Amino acid sequence: MTAFDPGGDPRPLAGVRILSQAIVWAGPTGTLILSDLGAEVIEVESIQHFTPTRGNVRHVPPEQAQGPMGASFANRDISEGFWNRRNSFNYASRGHKSITLDLRSEAGRELFFDLARVSDAYIENNAAGVVDRLYGGWEALSQVNPRLVMASFPGFGLSGPYRHFKGYGATMEAIAGHTMLRGYRGEPPSEVSATFHGDPNAGAHAAFAIIAGLMARERTGRGQLIEISQSEAVAHHVSYGFMDYSMNRRVQEPQGNRDPSMSPCGVFPAAGDDAWIAIAVPDDAAFGALAAELGLPGLADDPRFATVVARKRNEEALEALVAGATASATPAEWMERLQAVGVPAAVVYHQPDMFDDPQLVARGFFAEIGHPTIGSYLYPGAMAQFAHGPADLETPAPTLGQHNEEILQGLLGVSDARYQQLIDDDVIGTVYLEDAR
Amino acid sequence: MAGPLLGIRVLDLTQGVAGPYATKLLSDYGADVVKVERPDGGDPTRRVGPFPDDVPHLDRSGLFFELNSGKRSVTLNLAAATGRRILQRLAADADLVIESFRPGALARLGLDAARLEAINPAAALVQLSNYGQEGPYRDFELDDLGAYAMGGVLALTGGEGREPARIGLYAPLFLAGGVLATYTIGAVFGSRRTGRGERVDASLFEILASSMDRGGPNLVAYQYSGSLMTTRSASQLRNAMPNGVFRCTDGYVSITGQPQFFPRMARMIDRPDLAEDEAFLGRLDDPAFLPEVEPLLTDWLSRHSKREAMERGQAEGLPISALNTMEDVFADPHLHERDFFETVAQPAAGEVVMPGLPLRMSDTPGEIRAAPTLGQHTVEVLTAALGYSTQDVAVLRQRGVV
Repeated sequence: MTAFDPGGDPRPLAGVRILSQAIVWAGPTGTLILSDLGAEVIEVESIQHFTPTRGNVRHVPPEQAQGPMGASFANRDISEGFWNRRNSFNYASRGHKSITLDLRSEAGRELFFDLARVSDAYIENNAAGVVDRLYGGWEALSQVNPRLVMASFPGFGLSGPYRHFKGYGATMEAIAGHTMLRGYRGEPPSEVSATFHGDPNAGAHAAFAIIAGLMARERTGRGQLIEISQSEAVAHHVSYGFMDYSMNRRVQEPQGNRDPSMSPCGVFPAAGDDAWIAIAVPDDAAFGALAAELGLPGLADDPRFATVVARKRNEEALEALVAGATASATPAEWMERLQAVGVPAAVVYHQPDMFDDPQLVARGFFAEIGHPTIGSYLYPGAMAQFAHGPADLETPAPTLGQHNEEILQGLLGVSDARYQQLIDDDVIGTVYLEDAR
Repeated sequence: MAGPLLGIRVLDLTQGVAGPYATKLLSDYGADVVKVERPDGGDPTRRVGPFPDDVPHLDRSGLFFELNSGKRSVTLNLAAATGRRILQRLAADADLVIESFRPGALARLGLDAARLEAINPAAALVQLSNYGQEGPYRDFELDDLGAYAMGGVLALTGGEGREPARIGLYAPLFLAGGVLATYTIGAVFGSRRTGRGERVDASLFEILASSMDRGGPNLVAYQYSGSLMTTRSASQLRNAMPNGVFRCTDGYVSITGQPQFFPRMARMIDRPDLAEDEAFLGRLDDPAFLPEVEPLLTDWLSRHSKREAMERGQAEGLPISALNTMEDVFADPHLHERDFFETVAQPAAGEVVMPGLPLRMSDTPGEIRAAPTLGQHTVEVLTAALGYSTQDVAVLRQRGVV
């Protein structure tokens, strides 16, 4: 049915070759999923430009080594080669291959086209117009390989007045109206930390686009360009507010942790440092169970709280009563106790505690993955478990340019002499140039 | 409809937000999604709203419209043996069976992985649950807020020293649905290729714990250094470049600040001199300098609107955007020029403006279509796909099966 050869590999996308220039935060989610599904993902990097998940300055300022930035490098080691020790790259690029090519050079572009000729798909999220200027973009690639499926996902899309706007996750979410809907009730949106919800979403959509494009190709025989605007994709996630404006012209405001049809619904202080339990009560029976567990059985019969309508009306008072009763146990204890009586309750997890979570441990969620320069660590595993073609959780993320020889010589047949010339001309390499940016 | 997934038949047994969002994406891009709902009220999302004029109606929920565009709704009483038999016949014709029942429930309906393999060996089976199909939390409840909490991102959002605050209703469930859609279509792709139906066990907890919305990288940072790279505070203070949300004359802007962007900000605020001032620029890596830098920005913003600030800043290459209210979203010139808004005729609510396609495919575009009324396609599916007559369906209806 398909042109590529899975070679006995049971993973769904085995034998599919995907070139990636999917960068910053959104891109890696997409290639992580494609790689988990078995695709051969080749990251086309360069020694002239930083891959943002590896770093963005040639020498990390030493004072940052001890701060939050330093925490992203294995052992806080910011010395030469730090780009192979970065958390975000080593997580999301697991199982990928890395080559470097200077696409501003004729030789680099030629090799890139050679690679596109033998690939099924290409995924990129540079700013709109960047790849057009670099090598002619989709127009050039589709000439080289009409069967190529290309997914482009710049922040605001490839057209429209904002197409050249600079942005990160927070910028795109703001345009979709997401930022004005999040945070504390009755407070301005400046009171909460930036979130980057749209990033993993756009990345996942781009991976969806690639697979959908491959499926369409089976029918049509041709590739296509697929465009995703991160802003537009996020607009779906706020559809509760979107549809209210659409149908009722109502502009919703942040509701904090409250829910329109559940009460109480919020986070309450538990025993411990920055310890919280999230509780959402779907109906009156669950409220009765909650009240009993909190040691406040009278609440269930109190006319202020007996029904969901009454609880919504008196929500502030109710929240104060619940918050006054939750400090006696830890979040994990509350979750066990409340779940046992049918009340949806969840630990507000801090990452350090998640490694011991009984469910994640029981399911073998964390994978220990070795790495040629930093050794073994635990990483989050695949986001979905496949019975027949499970994700490869053994191959680490590549070091910069690790697969130059394998891809350029092994796959494209570049001669020894030409390979050396590419090194001498800085078209390829394994160390960022001093003036890299 | 000329979507890429034309010809893919989906038996959709999901309800709520995450599962339906995944199958909505399949539907928007051409798959034939048959959504099985309970005859007494259907998918609970039908009761959630928002509703036109705030009048609840099972066929007029805005959230349901969004999550179920283009699907076909079949009501089926799975407590009845005949209902379960019809379910099996629908499964026998599908390329994908996707469900979000409690773990174990599908097997009790007579349709576990082994049964599906017997009646339709090539069909993929995707099972979404709160915590996974097994493990100590298997039977635990999980709602939208809880999913955000367990995933480890709620603890990172909010103000320092305050209670964590989520980032809007249902957002984590939509994110999980988008991720699930991708794994699901991957499973379909592989199953069609090998002829052997893939079995996927996906949990909301694990999808969100892995998220690149800083949770996943934070897990790795903790492994790497024993501390986190992101914590809960309104501004992640790492240098003297203003970063975050700031007030303007008519609302707010969001700025992603990095020291190398300061010259762009300096030109935006009419201080090009500072863009050239080496002594000033040299101090930007020091967070202690921020109190001197930030007032320059906030003072300028106090005299400009959010759109002026965005246009001026973006002209200089600064990552800055207006915080659109939903009213602004509907008036946004960029979204209009890109024809993002789709007007869809919903059977019980008339023309409704919906968010447009999230992916734009040049060759096989896809389409946002109407969501079904409850049981709208019961007769159609049972007669055309399963060979029942309309009289048979009438009998089933009288017996409460459909």
